[in-house]
Amino acid sequence: MKQHRMIHFYHVTKRFDAYSTALNDVTFHIDKGEFVFLTGPSGAGKSTLLKLILRQIRPTEGQIVVNGRNLNAMKRRHLPYFRREIGMVFQEFKLIERMTIFENLSFILTVIGLTAKEHKKKAYTALRAVGLQHKMNYYPLQLSGGEQQRVAIARALINDPLMLIADEPTGNLDPDLAQEVLEIFNSANLRGSTVLLATHDRDLIERSNRRVIALDHGKIAEEKIAAAGKPAARSESVFVNWS
Amino acid sequence: MGSEFDPQIPSNTVAYFFREAFRRIWISKRTSFVAVAMIAVSMLIVGFFLLLSENLGRAAEQAQGKSRVDIYLSAEATPAQVAAVDRYLAAHRDLARRRFVSSDEALRRFTSYFANLNGIVAQLDANPFPASFECDVAPQLMQSPAFGREMKELRAIGGVDDVQFDWEWVRRLKRVVNVVNIAGIIAGALLALAAAFTIANVIRLTMMLYHEEIEIMRLVGATERIIRGPFLIEGLLQGTFGALLAVALLFGSFVAARRFIAPANSLIWSFLFNGFLPWQKIAALLAGGMIAGFLGSWLSVRESGEESA
Repeated sequence: MKQHRMIHFYHVTKRFDAYSTALNDVTFHIDKGEFVFLTGPSGAGKSTLLKLILRQIRPTEGQIVVNGRNLNAMKRRHLPYFRREIGMVFQEFKLIERMTIFENLSFILTVIGLTAKEHKKKAYTALRAVGLQHKMNYYPLQLSGGEQQRVAIARALINDPLMLIADEPTGNLDPDLAQEVLEIFNSANLRGSTVLLATHDRDLIERSNRRVIALDHGKIAEEKIAAAGKPAARSESVFVNWS
Repeated sequence: MGSEFDPQIPSNTVAYFFREAFRRIWISKRTSFVAVAMIAVSMLIVGFFLLLSENLGRAAEQAQGKSRVDIYLSAEATPAQVAAVDRYLAAHRDLARRRFVSSDEALRRFTSYFANLNGIVAQLDANPFPASFECDVAPQLMQSPAFGREMKELRAIGGVDDVQFDWEWVRRLKRVVNVVNIAGIIAGALLALAAAFTIANVIRLTMMLYHEEIEIMRLVGATERIIRGPFLIEGLLQGTFGALLAVALLFGSFVAARRFIAPANSLIWSFLFNGFLPWQKIAALLAGGMIAGFLGSWLSVRESGEESA
């Protein structure tokens, strides 16, 4: 395994039962420092693929290697330390409503073991990066959907993750806000984080000039560089007309 | 950037456990109260048995420490016969430490010990209590067969009506203390187990309430220790509160019973309310509550690990 690879899926299949195959013989890799879009229609397998990377679920067949670690062989007790290297932005935000914005961020720092002294500085820096430092004492329900999404991104960024994974982070946002959110991911990528962003938003992808992995019916339908228009070196499977 | 696998415990983790546990108890006040009440009732019952056995044990110790032979004289005993008994005792190596108790003195003692029976005593025509000699002897001496034979000889002396020595009574009392102890331990263990299961269910409910937070914690890299810690501390605190409540109720009941129920100068009541539990037994009660609470929460959290499909 080459050291420059951050994520490597090797013939990964995920079946939930005999009639439901979420991913079928998927092979691809993402290098360290890359910014990759994951796209495809609903039910294509995007969320399953993200869950496999976080090892929320295990593959039925195949191997997944993330940052040099084979997830199939990873011991359960090592899982939390592995996940601390990943900043995850969930589609439904997953903010804790009873906590203020600051507490939502500080809570993460507590559970990953940072001291209270480090909390304030890190939380403030992460909120400033998404332009919400002035709302740190608000509760999630006092914020708009876009603001809640930015808090979720701040939470993912707070521990300077090696990898940033986002599931439809712009799904609830208007185009201007979506562009702002994309800029946040771009700057995290510039700071060295590998970014994998699952989205339906074709405009966003077109504007980005990034590699795109398109899934369809659990298979990789296409890999290409958006906007530049030419396919990237693809792994396997069928090409379909994605755009 | 994220570090390599480094399972260190941060300095503020314990504070976080306690803060979260207190907050969750406060939020789920009603269910927490049920758990605390269950522990309190269990520990109160254990405490009652401990208190009973403690005081009976003290009574047995006192009786054993002052082992005594009572030589009752017959009502018709002549002064010469009484003097002969006195001489016999004076000459005996083990019975020389003696006291003469006249029948008037015996009546005075009875009315003092059993104040509530004074009315009956007043209706008697004559003093029914015989005069006696009381001899203090070493407890171990009373258990020897030779001593039994000597007491038989003493009974045969003219003017002696009966000879009683209280070793058998002490032995019976000690057996009662043991039975009370065992009953207390069994009842307490069963009730503590029931209380632990109650706490397990309360913690399970709390975990369901915090299901989403737990999921988020797992996804951001919280270890199972960090996730489970507040729940374990919650059970421990519920157990501690329950046991503290039990000790407070037991002490309150003890003081109230001594003040309002036990008649002054009554021998039986003075046995039962001689004193409260020693600190070691209070500590054991508290520890019992804490263990039951911790066990309950542990039963819940041990099945709560992440499932990987």
